[in-house]
Amino acid sequence: MTSSRTLALAILLTSAALITGCASPSVPGGSGNPGSGSTGYDDIVASAPVASAAEIEANPWARAVRDAGVLRVGGTDLARLWSLKDPTTGKLEGFDAGLSQMLSRYILGEVHTELTPVSVDTRETLLQNHAVDAVFATYSITPKREAKVDFAGPYYQSGASILVRSDTTNIRDVADLAGKTVVTQSNSTGVTALREHAPDAHVVTFPDNVQCVSALTQRRVDAYVIDESILLSNAVSTPGLKVVGTPFTSDPYGIGLPKESGAKAFVNQWLSRIIADGSWARLWKATIGTVVEGSAPTPPVPVPAG
Amino acid sequence: MESTWGADLSGLVNGLLTALTLTVVGFAAALVLGLLAAACRVSPVRPLRAVGTLYVELFRNIPLLCLLVLIVFGLPDVGVLLPLTIAVVSALAAVNGAFACEAIRSGMNAVPAGAIDAARSLGLGYGATLRLIVFPVALRRSLQPLVNVFISTLLGSSLASAVGVVDLIGAAQIINLREAWGLALFAAAAGVYVAIALGAGALGIVLERRWSRT
Repeated sequence: MTSSRTLALAILLTSAALITGCASPSVPGGSGNPGSGSTGYDDIVASAPVASAAEIEANPWARAVRDAGVLRVGGTDLARLWSLKDPTTGKLEGFDAGLSQMLSRYILGEVHTELTPVSVDTRETLLQNHAVDAVFATYSITPKREAKVDFAGPYYQSGASILVRSDTTNIRDVADLAGKTVVTQSNSTGVTALREHAPDAHVVTFPDNVQCVSALTQRRVDAYVIDESILLSNAVSTPGLKVVGTPFTSDPYGIGLPKESGAKAFVNQWLSRIIADGSWARLWKATIGTVVEGSAPTPPVPVPAG
Repeated sequence: MESTWGADLSGLVNGLLTALTLTVVGFAAALVLGLLAAACRVSPVRPLRAVGTLYVELFRNIPLLCLLVLIVFGLPDVGVLLPLTIAVVSALAAVNGAFACEAIRSGMNAVPAGAIDAARSLGLGYGATLRLIVFPVALRRSLQPLVNVFISTLLGSSLASAVGVVDLIGAAQIINLREAWGLALFAAAAGVYVAIALGAGALGIVLERRWSRT
């Protein structure tokens, strides 16, 4: 009895360690001390612009963030290249994470963010509740979402592509996905991309990238569809995988903001500024640019469309 | 955008059917496992008792989500690639079977020792005594705890979406990606689970009344 309890406990603890990543309700993260890293990432965030006191004073949303002393960000800590928690430092790194850190620096003069993990089901609600100030979460701008929240940007043009095992020869582009089993992340635009472009594919979804890659390498699925940058990064880090074809969607990512809070104009102005001074491109190079060849793309122009 | 009500509704209905299938098959398998484990735990054979105890103490104490992730992502690494629905049903059955075993075992305490002695003196063996005398009484006595096990199977089945099976919760998430209905859809799904669980509770009361009459 005692020994069976011990065994059960050992298994339980191991599993719990595996699981906490996808089940943790709320973790603080990303409160950074700029310049401490050696990757250049911290330096890029630390050299991003800071708004003048007058600019903050003129905007009610920015004023509230400044008075709180922290930017409350809705995001994730599981998205490679976009917003991944470094287990040794506990800090978030990635393109989305970096932008949120730059925005907090813009308003507060220092990087101070607090992460609330969000999912596709909670993003709009958290913004409407004012539980977060902004959502940076590979958040596609769609008309139905715009009815509930404001979007600053777009700040990135995403394109879904296809990852397969190296020995796969019968999948070359999106048309070949018909009748195949394809995995994508549950909360991602991959789900809608597949529904539109490969309606005859059998779609399986898992919560995060690691699980999707496992499903592919364990031969549970034939292909993995999501933003090309993530797939390229997987192809580099996992032997035996390759990206096929070119991106078959064009998905604008925006920064989710509370509706009619005045935040949209302020954040768009900040976006224009970090694009103009090269911070956007430097951050791209340090994150997505580590797996995508070539120089940083021309950023999409933030549009003040309603 | 054009109306997608039809597709959304059929997605939700399919998700609900998947959830119910997982629950019913998982619960049936849990009952079988529970009966077997209970038979082991009261058996006079020491190794069998040990197996029963080990099974119950192991699976009663593992969170369902951990077990699901271990089965779906761990087993393939040792060469066992179960289809996702089979994996979910197995996990549901293993965990809830442990609880069913304990529910049935507690029901067994209601069987008078005299009834067992009488059965043995009539020449019934261990298996026949269990089958004809002990289990019928024990199952009746453990009806309400077993309804709880059913409800726990139902609610546990909602974790299927975490490992890629599109149940009601998974269907709601897929629709939310496009429609941005947010928590309203989740609240509706919660309502459906409550309704099913209440139905199961009511069925348990009806069965209990019917059986106590005989």
